[in-house]
Amino acid sequence: METSEKLPQDFGAFHRQQLGIGLWFKSGDPWIWLTATAVGACIVAVLGLLGLIAVKGLSHFWPSDVVTINYANDFGEFRIAGEIVQRESIGRNQYLEAGSNSTAIETDQVERWMIKSGNRRINAPDFRWVYKHEIVQQLKATDMLVFERSEWGNAYGTLVGIKEHGQSIEPDNPWIELQKRIDRVTDLRDEARRIQKGAINRINYKLEKLRLEKRKRELKGELDFTDIEIERDRLNAEYLVEEQRLRDIITQLERDEIEIRIADGRISTIALRNIIRAWLPNEMSFWQKLGHYFSSIWIFLSQESREANTEGGVFPALFGTVLMVLLMSVLVTPFGVIAALYLREYAKQGPFVQLIRIAVNNLAGVPSIVYGVFGLGFFIYLVGGSLDDLFFQAAQPAPTFGTPGLMWASLTLALLTVPVVIVSTEEGLTRIPSELREGSLALGATKAETMFKIILPMASPSILTGVILAIARAAGEVAPLMLVGVVKLAPTLPIDGNFPFLHLDRKFMHLGFHIYDLGFQSPNVDAARPLVFATAFLLVLIIVALNLTAITLRNRLEARYREALL
Amino acid sequence: MSEIASQQLPRLSRRRQLVDGATRHIVGAGGVAVICAIALIMGYLVWVIVPMLAPSSIKHAASHSVDIEGTLHVATDDTFETATFVRSNGIVEFRDTKSFELIQESRVADGDIDSIKPIFPTSDSYAVAISNKKLAFFRVAHVVRFLGDERRIENSATTLFEDSIVELQDVADYDIYRSESTLRVALLRNDGSLVVNAYDDVDDYFELDQPREAPIPSWNRNVEHIQIVMGPRGRWLFEIDTSSGDYRLLNIASIRRPRVEVEGSMGLENDQFLSATPVLGRYSFLVAYQSGMLAHWSLTPSEEGSHLQQIRNFDGRGPIAKVITEHRRKGFLAIGQQGLAQLGYTTSRRILARIDLGRLPEVIEFSPRADRLLAINPHSIDVYNVVNKHPEISWSTLWGKVWYEGYQEPVHSWQSSSADTDFEPKFSLTPLLFGTIKAAFYAMLVATPLAIMGAIYTAVFMSPGMRKLIKPGIEIMAALPTVILGFLAGLWLAPIVESHLTSIMLLIVILPVGVLICAFLTTLLPRHVSARFDGWFAALSVPILVILGYLTLTNDAWLSNLIFGMDAKLWFYEKAGIDYDQRNALVIGIAMGLAVIPTIFSISEDAIYGVPQHLVHGSLALGATRWQTLVRVVLLTASPGIFSAVMIGLGRAVGETMIVLMATGNTPIMDINIFQGMRTFAANIAVEMPESEVGSTHFRILFLTAFVLFALTFLFNTIAEVVRQRLRSRYGNL
Repeated sequence: METSEKLPQDFGAFHRQQLGIGLWFKSGDPWIWLTATAVGACIVAVLGLLGLIAVKGLSHFWPSDVVTINYANDFGEFRIAGEIVQRESIGRNQYLEAGSNSTAIETDQVERWMIKSGNRRINAPDFRWVYKHEIVQQLKATDMLVFERSEWGNAYGTLVGIKEHGQSIEPDNPWIELQKRIDRVTDLRDEARRIQKGAINRINYKLEKLRLEKRKRELKGELDFTDIEIERDRLNAEYLVEEQRLRDIITQLERDEIEIRIADGRISTIALRNIIRAWLPNEMSFWQKLGHYFSSIWIFLSQESREANTEGGVFPALFGTVLMVLLMSVLVTPFGVIAALYLREYAKQGPFVQLIRIAVNNLAGVPSIVYGVFGLGFFIYLVGGSLDDLFFQAAQPAPTFGTPGLMWASLTLALLTVPVVIVSTEEGLTRIPSELREGSLALGATKAETMFKIILPMASPSILTGVILAIARAAGEVAPLMLVGVVKLAPTLPIDGNFPFLHLDRKFMHLGFHIYDLGFQSPNVDAARPLVFATAFLLVLIIVALNLTAITLRNRLEARYREALL
Repeated sequence: MSEIASQQLPRLSRRRQLVDGATRHIVGAGGVAVICAIALIMGYLVWVIVPMLAPSSIKHAASHSVDIEGTLHVATDDTFETATFVRSNGIVEFRDTKSFELIQESRVADGDIDSIKPIFPTSDSYAVAISNKKLAFFRVAHVVRFLGDERRIENSATTLFEDSIVELQDVADYDIYRSESTLRVALLRNDGSLVVNAYDDVDDYFELDQPREAPIPSWNRNVEHIQIVMGPRGRWLFEIDTSSGDYRLLNIASIRRPRVEVEGSMGLENDQFLSATPVLGRYSFLVAYQSGMLAHWSLTPSEEGSHLQQIRNFDGRGPIAKVITEHRRKGFLAIGQQGLAQLGYTTSRRILARIDLGRLPEVIEFSPRADRLLAINPHSIDVYNVVNKHPEISWSTLWGKVWYEGYQEPVHSWQSSSADTDFEPKFSLTPLLFGTIKAAFYAMLVATPLAIMGAIYTAVFMSPGMRKLIKPGIEIMAALPTVILGFLAGLWLAPIVESHLTSIMLLIVILPVGVLICAFLTTLLPRHVSARFDGWFAALSVPILVILGYLTLTNDAWLSNLIFGMDAKLWFYEKAGIDYDQRNALVIGIAMGLAVIPTIFSISEDAIYGVPQHLVHGSLALGATRWQTLVRVVLLTASPGIFSAVMIGLGRAVGETMIVLMATGNTPIMDINIFQGMRTFAANIAVEMPESEVGSTHFRILFLTAFVLFALTFLFNTIAEVVRQRLRSRYGNL
């Protein structure tokens, strides 16, 4: 457009010659300022939102200092240790409402701190509010340890002793000894997980396959199952071996225990097998903290979640999201492109095609939950149910494809995003000058050759943009997925070492649903909150990165083909 | 390459032709397939919805001449394979439903049976009054067993409670209630006195212990006309005088202190009362009158206590002689003296089908699934097929007010499931539509002004350098997953809004006024300084907004004391009677507003930016200020584009799921109050769809709501698209 030369100065700015509020209003400038405020508010909202998610999400991994606080109120004196998670001021009314009439206050505002004192199962509750005016003493003990436990969250305390087989040992440097033993436990735990997820999982899978095979033959009326039974006995024997190995490891895991003294002076014993990491936050240097920070992020990205998803990592959710989106793009790209080619290159242009174009455009605006309903009703109950009846009779009454799963989720999202790809591709096709087509045809190329050699390469930036935008949309959709295949906790990944490796019928986890589940279904919202922010930040990062890629790619490819055109 | 090509030209050309043809077909087929898939969405939704509109019918299926005189009661199993006949000689017969040949029989009473009553609310247990003045109990069971692949049904009728009996000396009427572990037997004696025997710790296989007895004072009526009926959950007992329609409602929740709740009448002034039949759950009765009217009376709570209230009428087409009810729904069959049977449903106030049975059958029963009717006469059995899948739906139950059982007045209510089996589902879509509109309204209230004003500034006044940053920046917001906005709104924003209510509301005034004051101050600066601000107002306003916002929010307590003299929430509750819900429409408005802003912003910015420059220049040359030019020329020209932006934004707000799901309480209430939540169509689907039984009415109604959503957004988008196309051609002309 020619408007690119438009400058704001083009609009007469004569008003500044006179001053005075009446004239100023008459000039209309205040209204311009108001419109500017609207933009400003949008900027504040966007940046504020992204900033909030980034800060809250990323700060979760920082090993913050553990403070030991003595505070006193009418109920007595208390001593707790933990991380300060939040500081806020509350009004007098709210203070009184909270039932803490223990200490009289004069001021209008009271500051209170939320302390994550951990030690669930030792010293409930794990989050508590402390009023600043009740604090008697506050210090940072250098020997304060933080233990990340595999269940019940963090523990805070000082190390008292290490026990092996119930016998105290007296190492020279308890801290080094502790680290050594935690490393040993970690190795053993990894080994146990390998057996569980590897061999045992594989044997169970094979046993299930055998059961289905037997049932299939039963349905056919066969009576001889000796080969199956032999195979089953062999697998069961194998299973026993693996199970014994696992038991051995578990016995070894049980060897060590530690004793810690928690803030109120009590001594508590923790089995070492429950400890994942331990660190001395108050003694760590900045660089040590940085190292710890990145290792925490790595754990977050690479490990499975624990404790109803409130601890650990998001790897299965991340994996599920990426896999689902990949499958979806494999489905959506060819179909979207073919539909666009058909509409633009092959179909006879007329009111009917125009109508379809409008319909496709509008479908991009249909609420995603409607696609979810369609996916559940049509794909799962109708198509999936029929597939089960035809091919998976042996597994019945347990459904194979007649239940939400990865394949249906990908299909549903492909349907949801196909308008995006069609619209984007069509836009690209329109922009190709018809002289190019005509030139190609005039030189003797067939229509197909013109399409493959001229049109598709030239439209590729638009196609790619469409696909990336589709991926970005699919990665962030949650509502339809809740109906067609996402679960809060999937026991196995949709890809594993068992034939056929990719299990399209399995349910999977998803980052977006993870956020919903953690934030709103979690039994311990306080414990889950930092992880929700971290997950949200990860999701935002993925989507913003995809969108930026789409924009850059489009610009770059456009530039290249513009050169080719000239 | 060309050499090779020319040598192989004949072969290649055929191959090329083939490839060309194949491509044409593949693209054609693929394109049509995708278009069909898209059409399928709409088609499938309609396909699921349509069965709800299918008419119901009763058809005569078969007639068998079997000698079964003295049948007191008939029942069938769930799959309609075996029919159970209770005969007056004390024998229970099992007959197959194909030919009604006797399969098996067993004796449940040691004498002749005078009368039988099903034990309320079970569907398989009965109490029989035996001629030698005692009450015995038995249960009928049909167990399906597989022997290999052979399917067999084992029928049995076994007495309960180790043959325990209840003496029936001088008893005129009785009724029985049974829960898991308690049994209540109400006995009306010939002298008019009433007693309720309560047995505790009841087990099928053990004898009954001594009951606790609750005597109830006599009603002083003719005992012959009195009918007693156990009420819901065994806590109520109805005593009905069938000569006049008068009734007495007894509260027997506490067996130690039974009391008379209320005395009333179901009789009408100029109409003769005929009979009262309890509907499933026994919260209500279907009452027949001489004029042919069939009235529905329901147990209704009020300030003075519960009473029976007439809530709707049916036209019976002549006096109704017999009413039978369905076992799992609130449906019924009313049969006239001549045998005209009408299939009806209470909640939806519909008569669904009619059939002439020829005469009034002695015994007639629904099958458990209400898909068959068995009519028994002394020498024949008639089977009728009933097709009646979705009787609870009608236009007025979906959108209008319905007087449900136990309600004081007709209401709009959405309540699709409950733990009770005798629960009456409430499928009014009005609260959901209301919630959808409410959420969209508040979101648009926030988004429209911000987005359009922002678009105006960005398109017209902003410096090109800044525009290049701002536009994609705000558009990226559109890609932000709504689940993130929803969780921030629910977990972060909602508590902040709750604790800073005053300042949040004040921000609407403070921010624009504050910015204007600062803006005026800039005009006081020397011209060469202020001229540099032109085009950068937006950037300048950011720090002002941040500082003002921070100051307002941190001084919330002071501000609310200044304005309300107390906490704002408290003030609204005490002075205005407005209850505050933490997850409310205000939070939704802000969060969903943010989700909609990028859509509206982007499209209206395009429209404004596309206004031809010569119009602007012409206006300015004629001496208009830039604001005048904007309002009278630019906006006027771009208004269709802005309109279409708002329509598309509205479409998005209507269908948004996650934000509403996470940031409201999802209660289907109809309250316009900004401090209350709502339940929208989309959120409702997300909550209820996974639990809905395939093919049930609930399932189909959810599909209907999905279709409504689909149609609404499709409509909005089409309007927007048409308007936009016309705008495009207008720009072309200018």
